[in-house]
Order: sequence, then C-alpha cells, then structure tokens
Amino acid sequence: MAWASAPVETGREPGAGRSHEALIELRGVSKTYTAASGDVRALEPVDLDIAAGEFISFVGPSGCGKSTLLNIVAGLLEPSAGSVRLDGVEMSGPSRDVGFMFQSPVLLPWRTVEKNVLMPGEVMGHDVGQVRPKAREVLELVGLGDFLQAYPRQLSGGMQQRVSLARLLTYEPRVLLLDEPFGALDEFTRESMNVELVRIARSAGLTVLFVTHNIAEAVFLADRVVVMSPRPGRVSGVVEVPFPQPRTIGVMQQQAFTDLAFQVRTMLGGL
Amino acid sequence: MTTAAPVKSETVARPPRPDRSWPYRLGSLALVAAILAGWQFLPSTGLVSTIILPPFTDVVRALWELVTSGFFYTHLRVTLTEIFVGFFVGTAIGLVGGIALAVWKPVKRLTYPFVVGFQAVPKIVFAPLFIAWLGYGQASKVLMAVVISFFPVLINTLVGLESVPQDAVKLMRSLRATPLQTFRKVSFPHALPLIFAGVKAALTFAVIGALVGEFVGASEGLGYLLDSYNFQLRVDSVFAVIVVLAAIGSGLYFIVEWLDTKLIFWREDQRG
Repeated sequence: MAWASAPVETGREPGAGRSHEALIELRGVSKTYTAASGDVRALEPVDLDIAAGEFISFVGPSGCGKSTLLNIVAGLLEPSAGSVRLDGVEMSGPSRDVGFMFQSPVLLPWRTVEKNVLMPGEVMGHDVGQVRPKAREVLELVGLGDFLQAYPRQLSGGMQQRVSLARLLTYEPRVLLLDEPFGALDEFTRESMNVELVRIARSAGLTVLFVTHNIAEAVFLADRVVVMSPRPGRVSGVVEVPFPQPRTIGVMQQQAFTDLAFQVRTMLGGL
Repeated sequence: MTTAAPVKSETVARPPRPDRSWPYRLGSLALVAAILAGWQFLPSTGLVSTIILPPFTDVVRALWELVTSGFFYTHLRVTLTEIFVGFFVGTAIGLVGGIALAVWKPVKRLTYPFVVGFQAVPKIVFAPLFIAWLGYGQASKVLMAVVISFFPVLINTLVGLESVPQDAVKLMRSLRATPLQTFRKVSFPHALPLIFAGVKAALTFAVIGALVGEFVGASEGLGYLLDSYNFQLRVDSVFAVIVVLAAIGSGLYFIVEWLDTKLIFWREDQRG
C-alpha cells in the first residue's frame, strides 16, 4: 500500500519527447463548499502540469473531486484557492480554448444534427456560411456525414454523443474536458467511441482531460492516469502509461496492462 | 414551485388518440345515433318535458333560425372579439410575467406569493366588480378573460424556463454565451412545449371568462343571448347557442392543436 501515500506529482515529468512547457498548470487548486453544518472539503490542493497533446485520465470513485477538478479547469467553477494557468495565462471563467463534454449529449432537440454542431459558431458570432464546411468535415470525421439533416431523437445514444463531440471539435478548442462522456453507453459502443476519441484527439493534437470511474478505460486511453480518492477528494497518485500509440483493444490483454490497472486499483484503496 | 403545478402538456394538451380502426368508428357512430335518437324520442313521448329537453329536431330548427338571423352575427362578433382580445392580452401578460419571474429572481421572490395567492381566488367572483368598474360593454368581459387566462401561461413559462437542464446551461457558459444567447438558443425553445400547453389552457379559459362576464351583465354577446333565451324559457334556442359555443371551442382547439404540431415538432411525448 506504499502507493496510497505517494506524494502528489508536481509535473516534473521525465517522459521523453514531451514538451517541457506545460499547457495547463494547476497550482494548489482546492475547493471547499460552505454548508450549514460546516465546511466540506471537496478537493484538497492539487498541483499538476499537463503538457500540450497529452491525454490524461482522472479515475476515482464518486466524491473524489474529479468532476469538481474538471469543472474548475473548464472555468465553470471557481477554485477556493490556487490557480489554473492555460498557456501561462491565469484563467478566470470559461475559455473558448477549452471545450467541455458531458455524460449526456446535451443536444438541442429542435435543431438538426448539423445545426446543433453549428451552434457554438453562432454563439461566437462567426458567419454560419464559413463555419458550415468545418461542421460538415467534423461530422464526417465522427462518422455522421450522412446524418446532417437528422434530428437528435432519430439517433442512437452513441450517435448523439458523436454529435456532441463534433459540436466540440468545430470550434477547435485546444483542450477537451470530458466528464464520463460515454458513461451512459453500452460497453461495446463505449469501447469503439474511446478508440475513435483517441484517434481524433491525436490527429488534431488535442490535450484531453478524461474523467471516468472505469480503471481499464482510464489506463487504456491515457498517457498518465491521475488517481483520486474521496473524503476528502484528493489526488492520491499519478501513474505513467508507457504503451505506445495508437493502441488497440489488444493492449488490454497484456500482462503489463493488467499490472498497471492493478497498481491504479491499489492506489484507489479499499482493498 | 410546490403550490402551483404547471399545466402538464401530457395531461391537458393531448388526450390519448382514439382508436381509429373501423369497428370502433362504427361503434362511435352508433353511439352518437343512439344518443340523438334518445334525445328525439324521450321528449316526444312525454317522458321528459320539452321545457327541460326539447326534441333534437327542435334544436336543429332553432339553430337554423339562429344562424340565419342577422342579429346572431352581431352577438357572435362581440363574443369572439372578447375571447380573442382577452386571450392575446392574457397570454402576453402571462408570457412577459413568466419570463420576468424566471429571469429576475428578486422579482420572483417578491411577487410569487401574491401570484399563487391570486390563483387560489376563484376569479369568477371578480365579474360583478369588473362590470361595476368598466360597465356593461366589452371591456369588462375582456378583463375577465385576461384575468382568468394569464395564469396558466405565466406558471408554465416560469416552470418551463426553470426546468432547463443544467448541463445545457453549463454548455452555454463554457461557450461564453451571453445571457440573451442562452435564453434565445436554449432556455426559451426548451420551455416552448410547456408554454404552449399553458397557451392552450388560456384559450379555453378566455372563452369561459368572456361568457361568465356576459352572464353577469351584458347587452350583447352569445352569453347574453343564451341567458336571455333561458329567461324566456326558449330552451331549444338555448341548446342552439350551446351548439354554437361548442363549435367555437372545438374550432379553436383544433387550430391551436395544429399550431402545436407545427411549432413544437420535436415534442417527444405521444408523437412518433
């Protein structure tokens, strides 16, 4: 159980080939909720550096503060202390460089697939005619090129999440924050969506923060797995995943993979 | 939010579709025929006084006389004007009020108890008062229709706007959308199905408001006409006016129902 008390990583990553400039720097980020019964510590101070193009999984049981952390990086939640820097600039509120994807697809049922994907462009005041080619390209990329004029209710859950991903990709954020994005999908759909997500993120050079409570999924997807524990929510360790990209489902059969997954499991505690 | 439930789109807006297969259609027709036959037969045998229930054919004749008389259209126009003006003003007030309450929390906290309290009052009691204030003309009936019809729109607008999924609001925040953009692109369309259910209820209520106003005190309008016929014991003509009012009610219902399917094509319940 030595890992459980391992010090929190501070981003001095030895990983070869990784940029030394961190795209996202978390410094002493914590969150405390004030309730009538006293203060509730949702997140103990977190220090973490994330390089551009890195894929990071956050894994832990409910109440470990992983969603809180993601919302803070999104600028949707104000940290009680500490700072989040994006490309060296301290964040205050949401940034259009950072895209957020939820567990539910959050599509607008009165808009077609294409119009849902065009929505961020409209909000940002872009000319729809100029955004449209990009929207179509991205829908093609997620395999929905034939469904531009369909309405969300005509699509399966997996397809709806693809639309949600496409909507995110059209406005070209540099960072994707994914809060259990495929958690509501069945096992098979989730696996194929995961593989596709990594492919898309790699090809676009995106930095991804992926929240999940599935250890195998966390290890399979990520360059590094941030393991979190509840009560109070905190980072209990960071695990490097050395398998080269692109990975196939076959990686999960390797002994090294199983060992890593078990290492993460041990850090989560409660065994 | 606990004291005043919104008009549910499923419960008010759309009763289950009747079974359209032919044995049921035939059955429905047979039922109508039986009722009409009974209506015709019972009074003519003397089992029921014709003053209580005039034979069906008498009602048809009275209806024909009514719709071929010149004065009928004056009364029809008066009542329809009251209904429409009352409905549109009531809906507008409900919509603006509901949006105001949903958008400005202090306004809601300040006025919501009064809104709910007002709803608890049976608004028909205001009819004599409105006539004392505004006279026997159309204004008092319009006011009655407004007062009785704005509430379902207001409460449904408020509840609709407050039930926007939090993730959708977060999505808009993450895009740095302005509050107006969030309202126009997400909140208002999301609330529309519920708002429309309120609008449907408002239309029915506006008819009731106008007629109640005319019953209490008027010199023209279908409610006045019905009341006068009743006073003269011309029950066949009373039924004729009721038939006209039923036709108005169903006509308006179908128009709104049609608008609903056109405007809110994405409604998930019952359509597929």
